[in-house]
Order: sequence, then C-alpha cells, then structure tokens
Amino acid sequence: MSFVSVQKLQKSYAGSAVFNDIDCQVERGEFVTLLGPSGCGKSTLLRCIAGLTPVDSGRILLDGQDLVPLSPQKRGIGMVFQSYALFPNMTVEQNVAFGLRMQKVKGEESQARAREALQLVELQDFATRYPHQLSGGQCQRVALARSLVTRPRLLLLDEPLSALDARIRKHLREQIREIQRELGLTTLFVTHDQEEALTLSDRIFLMNQGRIVQSGDAETLYTAPVDLFAAGFIGNYNLLDADSASRLLQRPVSARLAIRPESITLRLDGELEGQVRSHSLLGNVIRYRVEARGVELVVDVLNRSSADLHPDGQRVSLSIDPTALREVA
Amino acid sequence: MRAETGSGSLYHRLVVYTLFVLLLLPLAGTLLYSVSTSWSASLLPSGLTLKWYLALWTDARFLAAFGQSLLVCFGALLLSVVLILPLLFVVHYHFPRLDALMNVLILLPFAVPPVVSSVGLLQLYGSGPMAMVGTPWILIGCYFTIALPFMYRAITNNLQAINLRDLMDAAQLLGANTWQAAFLVVLPNLRKGLLVALLLSFSFLFGEFVFANLLVGTRYETLQVYLNNMRNSSGHFNSALVISYFFFVLVLTWVANRLNKDKS
Repeated sequence: MSFVSVQKLQKSYAGSAVFNDIDCQVERGEFVTLLGPSGCGKSTLLRCIAGLTPVDSGRILLDGQDLVPLSPQKRGIGMVFQSYALFPNMTVEQNVAFGLRMQKVKGEESQARAREALQLVELQDFATRYPHQLSGGQCQRVALARSLVTRPRLLLLDEPLSALDARIRKHLREQIREIQRELGLTTLFVTHDQEEALTLSDRIFLMNQGRIVQSGDAETLYTAPVDLFAAGFIGNYNLLDADSASRLLQRPVSARLAIRPESITLRLDGELEGQVRSHSLLGNVIRYRVEARGVELVVDVLNRSSADLHPDGQRVSLSIDPTALREVA
Repeated sequence: MRAETGSGSLYHRLVVYTLFVLLLLPLAGTLLYSVSTSWSASLLPSGLTLKWYLALWTDARFLAAFGQSLLVCFGALLLSVVLILPLLFVVHYHFPRLDALMNVLILLPFAVPPVVSSVGLLQLYGSGPMAMVGTPWILIGCYFTIALPFMYRAITNNLQAINLRDLMDAAQLLGANTWQAAFLVVLPNLRKGLLVALLLSFSFLFGEFVFANLLVGTRYETLQVYLNNMRNSSGHFNSALVISYFFFVLVLTWVANRLNKDKS
C-alpha cells in the first residue's frame, strides 16, 4: 500500500465543489508535484492533507493511518507557505526551534537540532537575526528548516518559490530537491509553474477544475498529454483543430492535433512550404512563427549560430516528425 | 530620501516651523502664565513663581480627581483589551466577512453626539436594576464604547500587516494549540498596534468632559470635571492644571514610544 493515499476526497465551499472524489497515491520518499492553474484545487488539497481545511468526506491515509479525524498538530506533517509565515517576533533560531518547544524538547537538544536544521539550509550564521533582516530566499530557507526540524513524516510545499525572483528561485528549488533526496522525505509540492514541476518531480499530478487530469513522470506528461487541457498547459504545443490539421498534412484528420514546437524543423527546400512571420530569441532557442498552408505554427529551433537565422518574411520549408503528432480529445 | 536644495528646502522648512510655532504658541503662553505671579496689564509677566503648581499638587481634591481619572481610563482600557482582542481575533481568523459589519458598528459611538447619547444613558441606567449613574462604573462602560473605534482600527491594521492566517496555520502545524499560537505568535506581533491604540484612546479619554460631567459630575470627579468646577478660581492655577495635564500625557507618549521601538 502507498505511503500516502487519498481516497474519494470531497470538498465544497458554499455549495460549489472544489474537488470531487479525488484519488491519489504517493510512495515513500517520492517527490510529487500538484501542478495546475490557479483555482484548480491544488492548494486546497494540500491544506486538506495538512488538516488546515476540513474535508467533507473521504479518507487521507498516511502510512496506513487515517488523518481526517486528527487535528493538524497531531498529523506529523511539515508545511512551507508561499508567504514564508515566519514568526516576526522571534529570531531565526527561535523560529526553527518553535516546533521543538511545542514538543517540549528542552535546552541543549533543542538548540543542537535547530542548529542542525539551519546547517541543512546553509543559514547557521543567521541564527540570531530576525526575519525582517533576511531576504525572501533566506526567509524561505528558514521556513524550510523550521518545517524539517520536527522530522515530519510528510512535507508539504505550497508554492514556496512563487514570491522569489528568478535566480533565487532556481537555486532554492535545487536546494529543496537535494535536501529532500538526502532525507528521503516524502514531499508534496504545489505549483502552477510547469518548469518547476518538470525539473523537480518524480511524479506530477496535473490538476484542472478539481480533477487530476493526468499523472505520470515529467517525460510522460511532456510528450504524451492526454487531453486538450494537458497539451495546452504543459509545453508550448501547437494545437490545431481537425480542419487546419487536415489542410496542413493534406490528409483527413478527425481529431485535434498537438504538435510540439521542437518537433518541426525548418529547411530551405522541401515539400511543405511556409513563410516566417516573426521570430523571438529565447536564449538557447529561437522561436519562429511560421505560416504554412494558412496555418500558423510555432517552431522552436536550437540557436546554433547567427548564420542559421531565418529572417522574417523568408520562405522556408517545414518538416514535421510524424511520430511527434498527437491526437488529443 | 530626496535631497532638498536651495529655495525649495527653505520653503519646506518655513512651512514646518510656522506650523510648529502656531501649535506651540498657545501652549507656551499657558506655560508662561502658569509660572507668573501676575500678568495682566503688562507685555510680560511681572514675576516668576512656582506657587500655582505647589498649590495644585497639594490640593487633595485635585489629586483625587487625577487618580479617579486614571482609574476610570485604565478600567475602560482594560475592559477594551480583554473584550476587543479576542473579538478581533475571532473576526479575522474565523469570520473575515464580519469585518465589514464591525466597521459600521464601531463608528456608532462617534455617529451619535455625546450629549444625545448621555441623555439615553441617563434614561437607561438612571434607575432600575442597572442603576449606575453617578458611579464610575457607567463611565468605564461608556468610555469602553469610545475607545472601541480606536482600538479596533489600530489593531485591525496591525493584524492585516502580519498575515494572521498563515501564522496561525504554521504554528498549529508545528504543534501549537490555538491558545499557544495566539499567545506566543500572534499577540507579540500585535504589540505595536495595541500600544498605539491604547495611547490614542488614553489621551482621548483622559481629556473627556461631556460624558464625565453629565453622567457622573461631582459625585466621582474626574480631571476635566474638576477643571470645569475650578473655572472661577485663579487663571494661573488653571493654567498650571492644564500644563500639568499636558505634561503627563507627553511623558506617557514618550514612554510608550520607547516601549514601541523595534528590536534589532
């Protein structure tokens, strides 16, 4: 049986369902991401697991124990919030030691464990500072140390990186993943950022409107979206309706078609003719908008050298990898 | 901050200093009057003395009024802290929607003029099972309603600044029960708002006259009622009283500000 098992979980606010009959399983030591647009219920699911939001019905099993009747204090779950939620009146060390204080862990042991947790997030030199003297990234690392110090059975991360700037976000997400691996900690991570989800997770649950639309590892989610929403949310798929797809491929296509931008290559001569409408530089990738047979396609090309650049208006020919075409419902 | 140069800076300073002088002038006049032997037909007082202060601070009736004012104010403030803090906590943590209703309710004591509401209070509490008119209890209750808007607004602003919900949630997940979370995490972070609210209410209540005079009068004389009753005595004596009163509030403000300094 799975370490975490959510069974037929239901939650509604004022008559409208946030989610209905959610089922999901997480294995011990796994890093699982709940990915979805805002309002899809992912944060509410996390709060239900933490016990901060009551559920209407269903079960949440952690290591075989049903959490639903337990108060948040008794669940043995650590959580990191988007807003850090550090206690402003306490120093970094007091913040970290708060959970130990509540468990009546005394004096030296408490101090040693708090220091150890701070060392884990590389903030041992900041123990006597107050939260308002730290940067956002440092605050979030303190919050992480605080949630780890009580040795929780399950770690919940509620968009912990969303309030940080890009460079720190990248660094911290690697640090979180490293610590998670080192401690073998089962972790549920909530985000709306597909890049975070794809780079961090062992497994991803893609959520939309209170349902888990698709679950699987990053590779599966990226290359094999199960429906229109999944294809639209992950990657930058070209989504064509049946008519456009038939026109482009010059054969009858009965369903919507999803084509990844990097599965199309541009050449100077070939069957399928098109014209570059515009291009933009994304660093190592150049993103072209190319029109072919009345259909506009996004094409990503690796930015090898400026000599290969196709200027706007240039006639090009496209070749589409037939194995990369996916019909979606 | 932007560096000011030349005439702009001079103009800004002039405005600030003029304002200061305008505000301080009456006070300085009163101060000077309170330490002068007599000051009537001449441009400057004829001599300086501290006898008015001596007379004031040895007057048993004044000391009693001062003490009674303090007692009534502290009583009202204690009642507000005990009642309003939990109320705010419940409103903001459990029923955030009630905040809109509360914002209307707390304005009521200000919407009704004191003279009107004291007539109502006299009717209600003048006789019958809750006869309190003429006792300090009715003043404490009445002052509580006056302190309510100050307390509620100042602490609400503070609560909104600390992200109450996340702090409570974090504390509970770390094993704290609601009481521990409230006392160890939320309350220490409300210190600023609470002190500001208390100071504001105190300064206001300490100088309150209408309710004190109409509801209780000389039966439990407060400072302002005493001042009113002394209006026919020497102007020098009254000036000393006003300056003493002002000085007391000033010291209190200074102490409160010291307490409110950030730890760093």
